[in-house]
Amino acid sequence: MPSDQPSPSRTAGTGVPLHLRGLTKKYQDFVGVDNLNLDIQGGELVALLGPSGCGKTTTLRMVAGLIPVTSGEILVGGRDVTSTPTYQRDMGLVFQSYALFPHMTIAQNVAFGLEMRGIGKDEIKARVRDALRMVHLEGKEDRKPTQLSGGQQQRVALARALVVRPSILLLDEPLSNLDAKLRDEMRREIREIQQKTGITALFVTHDQVEALAMCDKIVVMQAGKLMQAGTPREIYEAPANPFVASFVGRANRLTARGDGSGRYGLSGVEIRGSAGISGNVTMMIRPHRITINDPAAAGENGLSGRLTEVTYVGDLVQLEVASGDQTIMVERSTRSQEALPTIGESVSLNWSAADTMVFSEDAP
Amino acid sequence: MPAAVQKEKGSASLVAMLLVPIIVVNSIGFILPILNLAQLSFKEALVGGGIGEAFTLSNWAILIEDTFYLEVLWQSVWVSAAITLITLACSYPIALYLHRTSDPIRTVLIVLVISPLLTSAVIRTYGWVALLSDNGVITSLLTSMGLNVPPLMFNTTGVIIGMTEILMPYMILALFAGFGRLDQNVEDAARALGANELRVFTRVVFPLTLPGVVLGCLLVFVLAVSSFITPKLLGGGRVFLLATEIYDQAIVTLNWPLAATLSMLVLIVFGLALALYARALRLVTA
Ligand SMILES: Nc1ncnc2c1ncn2[C@@H]1O[C@H](COP(=O)(O)OP(=O)(O)O)[C@@H](O)[C@H]1O
Ligand SMILES: [Mg+2]
Repeated sequence: MPSDQPSPSRTAGTGVPLHLRGLTKKYQDFVGVDNLNLDIQGGELVALLGPSGCGKTTTLRMVAGLIPVTSGEILVGGRDVTSTPTYQRDMGLVFQSYALFPHMTIAQNVAFGLEMRGIGKDEIKARVRDALRMVHLEGKEDRKPTQLSGGQQQRVALARALVVRPSILLLDEPLSNLDAKLRDEMRREIREIQQKTGITALFVTHDQVEALAMCDKIVVMQAGKLMQAGTPREIYEAPANPFVASFVGRANRLTARGDGSGRYGLSGVEIRGSAGISGNVTMMIRPHRITINDPAAAGENGLSGRLTEVTYVGDLVQLEVASGDQTIMVERSTRSQEALPTIGESVSLNWSAADTMVFSEDAP
Repeated sequence: MPAAVQKEKGSASLVAMLLVPIIVVNSIGFILPILNLAQLSFKEALVGGGIGEAFTLSNWAILIEDTFYLEVLWQSVWVSAAITLITLACSYPIALYLHRTSDPIRTVLIVLVISPLLTSAVIRTYGWVALLSDNGVITSLLTSMGLNVPPLMFNTTGVIIGMTEILMPYMILALFAGFGRLDQNVEDAARALGANELRVFTRVVFPLTLPGVVLGCLLVFVLAVSSFITPKLLGGGRVFLLATEIYDQAIVTLNWPLAATLSMLVLIVFGLALALYARALRLVTA
């Protein structure tokens, strides 16, 4: 039975919003996901970022309806789907392991969701063709999944998920099985397709570069809890706690004491910081925001120390400086022409008060 | 380069050497007896169990002319096919559950599945006799409930019931071994694409387990065609199958040439089953 009305093709920003309200998953007495609240706007690509085991997959599987929630609600376009079975949830799923149907051809894989919806043969054929063209796999219709490379298989999985025009696209570490160069390429491609279709997407990853480069918003999780949600810039420039600061980008972690007015004592030196916390604090400074032996920065925060190690890592040089009982990592671009000090030499380090992130001692 | 060739040659002769024992064992224990049976099927049967020296086609002629043996062949094939299908239906859910359950329980369940094999088929068949006979547990229970129970023993029904239970461990193990292609994520992908549980099963799970299914079916069919104790006891001499007929000809009638001919017929059935299996396997894994 061919559907007579043409399905509306979504344009950017018309995807449906997704809201998670107090989403919780308990495995016996272990809490896998703890009271997660999240608002994703229609058409947004949101990264769920966190270390392995923090509950990303559990969250995604609850949204897809593949595991029951312990408590909380899932709203898709304002509709509560918490107890809707997966097959009626209308969500596209892409897995790290591709999860193509190994006994079907590429065309049959992509056609599967359309068949389940009872769409007519001719329309299926046309839509499968369009979907495969979208992921640059024309001509591979009759191959079996095992005859394609990993990147091609993941493209088929993407086409298979999107051809049914789901309301939400869920991706669970879709690029983690691909090599670095291909990963870069696929990142761009997924972002482009997501923007073109305007679909709301939740992208699970443990790779901060991926999250920063692709997504409108990043949700950082740790041990089942939401740490921070915000734009990539907010997450990087204004992390909510030391965990976020060190998980997204690199940061020196130092301990200092504050007097409550924004001044902190660090190894006997006064440092000005971004917040006014008193008592013991955790101070975080990004290594590449620190200058080394730069007279122009003398008015800023400063420490002196001794250079103990230099590591060349291609586009960066990492310098380790011992200052009192603290070790501070400094990164310089290999492009800059500045002469680097030699190991054992005394150096002075400077950074601005704005780059001094201060958190209370008991923050995660 | 010469070193590589040397190594290649060395490993080839090593392979040949390692194959020698199994070739010897198979020749003595398998090929020779079959060749012996084959030549025996062309010998004349003498009264009193003797075997004539002259070459004759009479045993094979009997198979074709005497419709009794064609009926036995047909009966053997369809009863074995029925046993195979019922065994498959009973074993599949168990094998799937075994595959999906997690480790400590799985090990216990596998031991439970294998444990019937530790008891001889004769004893298990007598168990079924006790259950299925006219005043056995099942019949008396159903009769006391006011049901009119047809005889469950000394007919093909009894043979099929007993054989199904006896062959289930083989089917379960073959299926279980063939479930390696199943993948939770693949099933979940189908669910997300709009397939309900029934369609996930018919379109994804079952097709992926077909290699195990055809292997299990071949195994159980061959075992069903060739087993004779259970059909003999539960058939009560009223169910005529190739295996029981071979037994009767060899042991009761002492007509060894005819028994040999019937054995060759069983071998032909096996050959056909094997060819069918190879074809089915190509189809389901293509
Ligand atoms: N079925 C389960 N039973 C018990 N614990 C589980 C189960 N599934 C996941 N977990 C636990 O929940 C935590 C979160 O898992 P997961 O969501 O897969 O993490 P991530 O995808 O972020 O790596 C992990 O510590 C994991 O061990
Ligand atoms: Mg995961």
